[in-house]
Amino acid sequence: MSKEELFKKLSDAVVACDSQAVVEAAKQVIEKRIDAVEAIEKGLSKGAMIVGEKFDKLEVFLTGLMMAADAMKAGMDVLLPAISKEKVVKKGTVVSGTVRGDIHDIGKNILVALLRANGFDVYDLGTDVPTSKFIEEAEKVKADVITLSALMSSTIGGQKDVIDYLRETGKREKFIVMVGGGPTTREWFEEIGADGWAETATEAVKIASELIKKKK
Amino acid sequence: MVTFLDVVERALTGKPCSEREYDLKIFSTKLMEKVKEYDIRYDPQNLVPSDNSLADDVFKAALDFYCEVGTYCKDTERIIKFDENEARERLKTAPSKLTFGEGTDAGTLVPRKPEDKTLPWCFCGAGGVAVSSEQIFSKLVESYARIPIANSITTPALTRINGIRIRPESPLEILGAIRTVVLGREALRRAGRPGLPIMNAISTADSAIALIAGLHPEFGLRPTDSYMIATLAEMKTNFDLLNRACTLLSLALPIAALYGPIYGGYCGGPEGTAVATVAYHFMGALVYQAGWHLAFPIHVKYIASSIPELLWVASVYAQAISRNTHLLALYYNYTSAGPCTEMCLHEIAAQYTSAITSGVSMETGGIAGGKREDYLTPVEPKFTAEVAHAVAGLKREDANELVRKIVPTYVDKIANPPLGMKHQECCDFDTGKPSQKCWDVYSKVKKELTDLGLEFK
Repeated sequence: MSKEELFKKLSDAVVACDSQAVVEAAKQVIEKRIDAVEAIEKGLSKGAMIVGEKFDKLEVFLTGLMMAADAMKAGMDVLLPAISKEKVVKKGTVVSGTVRGDIHDIGKNILVALLRANGFDVYDLGTDVPTSKFIEEAEKVKADVITLSALMSSTIGGQKDVIDYLRETGKREKFIVMVGGGPTTREWFEEIGADGWAETATEAVKIASELIKKKK
Repeated sequence: MVTFLDVVERALTGKPCSEREYDLKIFSTKLMEKVKEYDIRYDPQNLVPSDNSLADDVFKAALDFYCEVGTYCKDTERIIKFDENEARERLKTAPSKLTFGEGTDAGTLVPRKPEDKTLPWCFCGAGGVAVSSEQIFSKLVESYARIPIANSITTPALTRINGIRIRPESPLEILGAIRTVVLGREALRRAGRPGLPIMNAISTADSAIALIAGLHPEFGLRPTDSYMIATLAEMKTNFDLLNRACTLLSLALPIAALYGPIYGGYCGGPEGTAVATVAYHFMGALVYQAGWHLAFPIHVKYIASSIPELLWVASVYAQAISRNTHLLALYYNYTSAGPCTEMCLHEIAAQYTSAITSGVSMETGGIAGGKREDYLTPVEPKFTAEVAHAVAGLKREDANELVRKIVPTYVDKIANPPLGMKHQECCDFDTGKPSQKCWDVYSKVKKELTDLGLEFK
């Protein structure tokens, strides 16, 4: 099997949410001493991009998106150890969670899956995350971005709390902070002084990429 | 008979399972299996289908599905399950009518059937959408109560107390819950309808502790109001929600269970969303022992329910429930467009024509996706209730024709809808009355619908 055929196999297996096929193809990449970075870019990431685009058009639903993200992760687990640290190119490191008092997670899960599919290293803190936990984790993993989800008009105040906490502890400039979720709007994002806001997870991924590029 | 204590016990002793496994391997997988097994198919030509067997198959698929997947308790990470006998028994013993309100404002919510001439229960108001000030809250509730055909009121949620943004499970939320009750009751008095029931009590309470605080009799809620408990997408609950059910059941207060299955999420497409919506009614009846039910299937991206697929879901779930049970079921919508726009009223007309002719009653829904503070006027709820009355008794075939004529007026704009106007921009500050522009839009769309053959009563 040629290099290109193997990359296609990786991509197709991600689209088919077939973790086992992804792992098999990834192992072949290692065995044949093919560049693992290229296999990630032209195989796994390409497949993940296809699934992301399909989800955007609802040709694939959330279950497919989550399972494709799992398949991609299975492939990364095989390929990453074969890449020297200097060669690992990450789009960025993101700490994601739903703010304190809010237990909704579907929007956040979509964002996490799409970020991972697009090559971001994501630390998912789950739901009802205490304000300081976002900051502690972001410092620990040297995050570029903190994403704050909220689904209720009664919980979006938690997004402001994280930004205020960062500002008042002198850490605001260390991280890009993005907000999102049902009740959030452009006006709200401007009011609380976040760096980015998106109505959909797909837009959020684009904005995160742009904000990281701009900061670097 | 399944008691509430049985439910709690099952939450503690049911099958352990990770949430991710429940989402992907159990809920989603079984749902797709049932859709396939019962051969349920979305038909874009029949957004209001007249095929009874489709509705009955969706009902059977949902019952099978729910008895297989149960409800996931997030706190115990276990599955609360029921067998078919328990589910069927609960459907038989669930209330077939409930009376709400006091004195001349009292009324009885009864079940309806597809094409039923019985007028739907009109639960009018903000649908829990947020407002920024107590002034706007009070004026809106007063205006809702002045809708002559309103049977009950849904109040907005407050986001601030004395200008401070409410935080969940904080003293601010407790104060917000109490203030919601006090202001709501006073606004109904001012409108001259003091006995009108508030059926989304307590809109500002997102936690059990705030609900319990607002329930104190001193603040003005009554046993003839009604109380809502949400479910978590998909088919989940937690201790906070069960705590609310426990409190309300112990006080013999009527519970409404809320269901927002997500089209494009773990429910998949329209077929899965329809089956899940019906299954949620079993969850509400069994887990929360709910007396009535409120469903709002919603789009994963647009936070709206007016796309053709979701109109079909609204019709099919409503037919499945109303043909096969006597559950007291209401439908709630989300529009993409904002207040004082033609598109918003077109969306409402399509949504409620689909649901009401399929056998349920209604709560007026979330305007502009229900996400924008203060994007509320009394015009949209009034229009919604009038549409609901006008379409009651319509044949499903005729409803389908009507809906198919309305959909093209807005469907291409769902992704980028007109935002409309805030309450402050289109209603008088002192009286709360909508501007002439709002009424012009309302009259124009009503005339269009009349020209399409709809007879407003």
